[in-house]
Amino acid sequence: MSADRKYRVLVVDDEAAVLLTYQLILERQGYEVLACGTSVQAIAAVQNERFDVVLCDYSLEEQHTGFEVISAARRLDPEVPAALLTGYATKETADEAANRGIGVMFKPIEIEEFLSTTSNMVRRNNESKQEGGEKAKPAPQNEHQG
Amino acid sequence: MATAEIRFSSARMNGRRTAQPRRPAVLRLLQAERSEEIFPLLLEEIIALGYPRALVMDVNLDSGEVTPAAAMKWPQAQLEKFSSALWMQDHPLIGVLHAARPEVLGKGALYSRPLYVHPILYSNRNLCWEADRIRTASCLAVQNFQREKRVRLEDQVCSTCEMRAYAAAVVVELPKGHTEQRVAELGELIDLANRYLSRLFKVEHYYNRMRDMEITIAQMGTVMQSMADPVILTDTQHRVIMQNKAAERFFRVPDEMTEGLVRAVEFNNLLFSAALSSMLVSGSDSHRDLTLVDAIEGEEMLFEAVSAPTYGPDGIQLGTVTVMRDVTDLRRADQELRLNYERLSEAEEVVRQDRDRLNLIIENVGDPIVVCDGKAKIVLVDPLAQELFGTETDVVRDTVQFQNQTKLTAFIDAFTASFNDRETAPLRLFNPALRQEIEYDARSGKIFGERGQVSYTVTVLRDLTALRRVEQLKVERRMLEIEKFAATGRLAATIAHEVNNPMEAIKNAIYLLASAIPENASPVYNILKSETERVARIVRQMLGLYRNTEQVKPVNVNTIIEDTLLLLNRQLQRANVEVQTELEVLPDAVIAADQIRQVLSNLVINARDAMPNGGKLRIRSRHIPGYDDLHGWVRILIADTGSGIPPEMIRSIFEPFVTTKGERGTGLGLWIVKGIIQNHAGKLSVKSRVGHGTTFKIDLPVVKL
Repeated sequence: MSADRKYRVLVVDDEAAVLLTYQLILERQGYEVLACGTSVQAIAAVQNERFDVVLCDYSLEEQHTGFEVISAARRLDPEVPAALLTGYATKETADEAANRGIGVMFKPIEIEEFLSTTSNMVRRNNESKQEGGEKAKPAPQNEHQG
Repeated sequence: MATAEIRFSSARMNGRRTAQPRRPAVLRLLQAERSEEIFPLLLEEIIALGYPRALVMDVNLDSGEVTPAAAMKWPQAQLEKFSSALWMQDHPLIGVLHAARPEVLGKGALYSRPLYVHPILYSNRNLCWEADRIRTASCLAVQNFQREKRVRLEDQVCSTCEMRAYAAAVVVELPKGHTEQRVAELGELIDLANRYLSRLFKVEHYYNRMRDMEITIAQMGTVMQSMADPVILTDTQHRVIMQNKAAERFFRVPDEMTEGLVRAVEFNNLLFSAALSSMLVSGSDSHRDLTLVDAIEGEEMLFEAVSAPTYGPDGIQLGTVTVMRDVTDLRRADQELRLNYERLSEAEEVVRQDRDRLNLIIENVGDPIVVCDGKAKIVLVDPLAQELFGTETDVVRDTVQFQNQTKLTAFIDAFTASFNDRETAPLRLFNPALRQEIEYDARSGKIFGERGQVSYTVTVLRDLTALRRVEQLKVERRMLEIEKFAATGRLAATIAHEVNNPMEAIKNAIYLLASAIPENASPVYNILKSETERVARIVRQMLGLYRNTEQVKPVNVNTIIEDTLLLLNRQLQRANVEVQTELEVLPDAVIAADQIRQVLSNLVINARDAMPNGGKLRIRSRHIPGYDDLHGWVRILIADTGSGIPPEMIRSIFEPFVTTKGERGTGLGLWIVKGIIQNHAGKLSVKSRVGHGTTFKIDLPVVKL
């Protein structure tokens, strides 16, 4: 990967309006964003492309869950940071997420929290890759400070 | 009373005296020192005067017999002639004696020759000493001398000195050619002798009396000494004249006594003297109780002293005689008796009160009560039990009561025979008022008799259905409340969930539009932004309740309190809120720490918001042990000095969307607090005074592991 490329974010949400706003916010922040409205789309995407971070709604169309998408993404890149975006999580869901190293952000999400969590995940992943000999540019800064 | 007896020496009877120059008869008679010497001397004088023979006949005033007492020159055989008795009125000698005057009995009247018979009688010219002392003239001796009354030989006892007189007759044979003058001389001689005799007789009488008195005194002394009770004779100055051995034990100081006992004796004397004085003053009441110390044994003894004045023969009081009765044991017994009586009365009173109280209790228990005897026969029922079983005296019962009674009797029979002192068992009885069979909780106890046998059984019947119904209602109400809360929660969560996604889009859109808003539209934009944030908060709170992301585990609540305060420390400082904590040592509670943290942070933030101008926030925790060792509670108190909650609001503060904070509040904080505490099977309550502050109390159950 080149040093000055944009970080790539996969955002998945079955609510089109929500998906679009996430995409716009992340793009404004300087990320390269792929937005998917269904798990099928998303899984297809992660089978071909690598992402720096995967942000995925928990409950997707027809009983599909965000876990499926993240699992698919990690088949290509086992280290890829991922977070579930959800309004409601059962204890089992939260436990499973924790066990698999998946973050959880509860909707409604404070935008500052949303952006800082995302950039932290990207940076941490990048640093661990740097230790493996790769050089990475610093994570983009938040547009809104304070 | 002693009686002077005329005694004479038989040796001299009929004896001859050697001729000596004769002294006048008066002087010879004066030589007599004893009364019995008088008659021999007199007879000698009579013979000396030239009379052939003479004798003295003595009158026994008791038997009335007249017998020869002394004789001179008279043949023994002839003396019998003169023996007679006072009742022989025809006897010449007796006639002379009754007439009490000397007489000459002619030849043949009694004897072959004429006789001069001179009766003599105890007589004196002067009053005896006793008559003299009591100034009375009724002295027998003087009466006899003066012959004021006719002399009665049957009545010869002095009414004053009780002296028994003597009577006799001197019989002299008259020689031939006796002259009246010579007979008169003879009479004078005999009278003279009688006068001496009377004097000697009187002296002897007093001597005898003295001797008798000595004997009496000795006897009395023996009696007094042999009395076991102390007897004391005192003079008018209370000085002891005489006391018996029993009294000496208390009032006399023997030589070998210790100082303490000497003091005891002195004290006894003092007490006794005081008692005597008081008895003397009170006059009529001559009984006193005295506590004296036994000088030998050293014991205290209680005496009842009875005193009586002693009077001399002249009626003047000489002193007091006091007899003391040892009543130590008597009084002790008396006291014990009285004490026992008092105790008995008290006990009786207690029993009476107990019975009254018991009756009152029985009347007010509100449950049927049945008392049965040892044979399970009903002896007492309260009005409620009467409805079930009928009265204890009624023989006629309706069938329902009869059936009930059969069931009860079966139960009581078994219980009476069992070894249990008390027993509780269910008993199904038909209740006539409710017209249905009801399950009662029969609680029975035994009352034992003196020999340990069952005298009575007492059975209280509790209507379990009513109790159970109440219990069930309570549970139902609570379940309903919990269900209602849960349903509300579910509904709220569903709404929140549905609102959540559109809300997310709106919120994000507003964020994205920020830079594209013209300046004149920015106030509207700001409203849009802040109101959206508010909705977001509400949704977040509602969903938060269902984000059970954490497992329950044993946690020390104190650490949660400390964590929460640490987290909110800056906010509280900025709001000028002073925090005081009193955290006691707590057992771990099995809780979801995050949820309890949310409870605490909600309550702390509420407290802060209630004190816009600063104030005090006090958080206390303590352990409240339960009734057993195992269970208990952890109590958390969160108190502020803020504005307080108006009374009309306090009932609804735990309901959702109720807030005192206006626009800033979601109205969900306390609703969530309540939900979490209920999920923990805890208790939550609030007290508040407007203007003074609010205190929340949380009790979380703890179980010893």
